[in-house]
Formats: sequence, structure tokens, C-alpha cells
Amino acid sequence: MASRVEILNDGGFRSDGRKQYELRDIIIDLSQQGSADGSVVLSHGLTQVSASVFGPREAKMRSQTLHDRANINVEVTIAPFSMGERRKRSRNDKRVLDFASTIKATFEPAIQTSLYPRSQVDIYINVLQQDGGVLQACINATTLALAAAGIPLLDFVCAVTGGVQSASPLLDLTTLEENDIPHLTVAMMPRTGNITLLTMETRLHVDRFEEIFQLATSAGHVLHREMKAAIKDRTRTLVAAMSVAPKAVGEKDPVYSERMDDS
Amino acid sequence: MSATVSLSKSEKSYIRTALGELSPIRADGRSLLDYRSIALETGVASLANGSARVNIGKTAGEESGSGTEVIAAVKLEVEGVLEGEGVDGGRLMCTVSCSPAAYPHLSSAALDDLSYDMTIILNQCLSHPSLHPKNLVIIPKRRSWLLTLDVIVLSDSGNVYDALFLAARSALCDTKVPKTRSVQYQPKSNALGEQDVEMSAEAPASIFSTKEVKSTADFELADYWDEGEPLDINQEWPVCVTLNLLSAKSLPTYFLDATSQEEAAIPLRLLLLFSFSPSGTRLQSMRLMGDGEIQLESMTQLLESGENHARKLFQALKNKLQEEDFRRNQKALARFDLR
Repeated sequence: MASRVEILNDGGFRSDGRKQYELRDIIIDLSQQGSADGSVVLSHGLTQVSASVFGPREAKMRSQTLHDRANINVEVTIAPFSMGERRKRSRNDKRVLDFASTIKATFEPAIQTSLYPRSQVDIYINVLQQDGGVLQACINATTLALAAAGIPLLDFVCAVTGGVQSASPLLDLTTLEENDIPHLTVAMMPRTGNITLLTMETRLHVDRFEEIFQLATSAGHVLHREMKAAIKDRTRTLVAAMSVAPKAVGEKDPVYSERMDDS
Repeated sequence: MSATVSLSKSEKSYIRTALGELSPIRADGRSLLDYRSIALETGVASLANGSARVNIGKTAGEESGSGTEVIAAVKLEVEGVLEGEGVDGGRLMCTVSCSPAAYPHLSSAALDDLSYDMTIILNQCLSHPSLHPKNLVIIPKRRSWLLTLDVIVLSDSGNVYDALFLAARSALCDTKVPKTRSVQYQPKSNALGEQDVEMSAEAPASIFSTKEVKSTADFELADYWDEGEPLDINQEWPVCVTLNLLSAKSLPTYFLDATSQEEAAIPLRLLLLFSFSPSGTRLQSMRLMGDGEIQLESMTQLLESGENHARKLFQALKNKLQEEDFRRNQKALARFDLR
């Protein structure tokens, strides 16, 4: 078909005008939502996700408490108008539950749950708009919301999708690209380089795997920089609002300087 | 269904006493009939046919509380009248879902109940035959649009019903119904080869004039620069005003735009939904919520003052929607000019 949209045209551009390794615009809004301890609205291009974190707090259901660490509870709701075709998914939809447990498993190694025994951290995610990379957006939003809520994390978790269009790897796929080419989602912890999530629902040639995996990992570092900058910016405004910002020389707030330290 | 915040008896009486004073005092310094600031934006969901986001009570400055936030989006789907669930003339369906982040203390079962209650109130009011848009028909007796209005409550700090209906009205006013054209395949009796089927595009009215009853009529989207035409009863979509009644005395005092704490402290709430069409004002729906009761005589008075408040709200919303329409169309035009 002649009218078919090319995933990657001869000039090396993708359907939305990006280059192969180019990520979409990332917009991070860390302002307060409702009574959440930490909340964020994150957009990767046209994919928009909001995440709110409550806790550590007493579990709503006593049976869910663990005696030695905090329980992580992830609930995902997908707005019916987030896709091209309207679809109402109930809270107990298999796919949504599976999605939530994937996110929970991703954050289990990153959150220092052992600091809060017999308590619960609630993560509520709302998918507002979908255009590819929903899992990646959810994971990045959760990281930011957790950080905003002051939950102790071992490291950021940065996720990105990657795919291969006939031997040329692409990053941060849109729906159009996700439907067409094999893709995987990688979530990594930038400081240690540990991988906390790797999912792939399509087939990919094993020879291509390493290249795309490496690329996704380095894209994770780029995302990390953006996310860290946003968190720092937020902390700075909060500190300024409390008017405890160290203005006088010699009067330094150790916590503030440690948080703002670039290392 | 009111207790989304739990307050102690003394807190309740503190709030109630302050509100019942001769010069009433509210925690945020408003007078009884003041609304918090309302923010509204249309066109927030790009994949919907119409959408709006409403926030009541988000004050300027990043670090303050965030108010009640609601997103509403309208999506249109084609339904077959003969084969599908469709109804001739189109259907309107509303659902409300509450985000667990809006009610962090509720269990998921309680959250579902709350969403269901809100869905009933919204759906009963908006899908009433008196508010049915006439342009949801694609091909009479064959195909029609199913209009689904989905509302999500993102956060609740009181007065969620007013926000719900503000968002619903804005999303419905923002909705554009795609233009369609009826097409029909007419086998020609004397044609040859592959030309024996001809496609003719006609105005919808001409469908009736065709002699063949068996001819398959379908439609196509008109290739037109505009997204479509608005629903034809845009002025009539109702606005909601919640009167929070302080006591069940013969002359009850009421206040508007309660915060969640105030809602938890009062015995009664009266939801009034007014529709202001050119043909006159209609009371579309009303509901008394809470465990108190009210004297019948005071209802007329409450209805009257409710209508006044609703009219002001309606006018303000109308102005804002016009402003939004202007902003978005102006923006689109400016962008178009740049090319």
C-alpha cells in the first residue's frame, strides 16, 4: 500500500518527525494533587499518566500487612477515553491487574521496605492518555511520585521502550510503532546499572537484543537526568517556601546541601 | 454517601457553630455564598470528541491545597439500530469513576459504591429524554451515535457534584459530532463489467426517495476541515448547585461550595439542577442527601434562591466556555496562518 505510514523513512525520520534515538518530550508536573503525600503528572509526548503515593501508612486491610517490611500496593486505572476506541476496564480486569503487579515487582527492589514494617505504601496510577510506552510512563511517574512523597528509595527507576525496525533500533515508541515492530520495555536503576524490569510481548531476533538493550539502558540515564532535575527543582521550591533556604554564609542546612549536591 | 472525611463530634460542632453565627465564619474566610475559585479548561483529552477539566479551589501558588478536580470526556461511537444495541435517535450514557487517590481512606468496594451513586445522579439527569440532542442520528432507523460521557474524579475536597456537572456541561458543549454523508450502492440494470456498481453520495434526506427497500444504505465521514458540528441543545445542559443546609429549622440557612470538612459537619445537602434554555428555566433534577429532614414550606424558598445561584453560575460558565472556544480557535487559526 502506498499510503502506508513508514515507520522509518529514507531520510532517517520516524512518523512523528523524530530521529531513531530521539526521545519524546517529557513533561513533569510535581504539584500537589488532593491529599496525596507525593503526586505527579507525567507526559511522554502524547502519553499522559498521573501517579499519587500515600504512605507509609496503616494498611486498609489488616491481612495485607507484613511483619518485617512495608507492603506495596499498586492500583492502576485506565481512563476510558485514553484510547482511540472507548473501552471501560473494570478494576478487576486481568490485564490491568497484571500491569499493576508488573509495576509492583519493578519497585520491590528499589523501595527500602524494611524500614517500615507492618505498614503499607499505596501507589495509585491513572492512565489519562495513551500513545505508546504506557508501562514506561507509569514506572517513571511512580518513581517521581515516590521521591516526592519522601519514600526512601535505593535509586531512581527509569524505564524506556525500545524496538527494532528491520535492523535499525528505535527508542520511545508511539502506538503506531508499537503495533508494528517488536519492542521491549527496560526499567533500570541508573546508579548501579541494575535492571529491575525487562518485558517483551513480541518476538525479537536474539542478535538484535543486545544492541537495543544497550541503547535503552543509555536512554535510561538521559531520563534519569531529567527526572532528577525535576525533583531537585521541586525540593528547591519547597525549601524556599519554608524559608529555611541557607542564605547566610556559614549557616548551612546539611540535609538541603546533601540533596542539592550534584554528585 | 456523604462521609468521605471522618470528623469528631467536637470538630463537627465547631464548624457548625461557626457557620451558624450571626456573622458566619468559614475556615477559609469566605462568606456563606462564596464559591472558591473555579478553573476550567476544555479540550484536555485529544482522543475524545469533547473534553473538559474542572478544578474548584486550587489556589494560585504551587504549594497550597489542590481542590476538587474532575475530568470529563465525551466519545462518540457508531451503533447499528437494527443489529446492535442502538436506539433510533442515538443514546447518551454517563459513567463516573472515582480515582482511589481522591478517596484514600475508602476500600475499593466503598469506592465502587460511591462511583455508582455519582453515576446514577449524572446519568439520570443527563440521559433524560428532555435533554436529548437531535443530531445523534446518522441514518434514520439504521445507524446512530452512542454518546458516552466518562467523568473521572481525580481529587475531592468538597462540592464534587457541582464540579461533576460543570465538567459534564463543558465537555458536552465542547463536543463536535462528525459530519456524515449517506452513501448507497445502486446496482445498475444495464451496466457492464466492473462498472455495474455505482456509488452515489447523497444528502441524508434523499435516502427516503429511493424506491428500492432492499438497498444497503451506509454512510461515510464527510471530508471537511472542521471536526464537526456541536450538539444542538448546547444551551440546555444543566448546571448543579448544592445548597448545604445548616439546620432543619423552618427557615434554614444554607451555604454554597462546602469543603469536605464542612460537608461532613452538616446534616443535609440539597442538589438542584437547573437548565436555562431560551424557552425557559427548567428544574431538571433535585436530590436531598443526608440524614436530616426539611420542612416542605422552606423548599420553595430554597428552590428560588437555588435558581438564582444556578443562573449566576450558568452565566459565568457560558462566558468561560466562549472564552475557551475563542482561545482554541484563535490558536488554531494563528497556527494555520504560520504555515
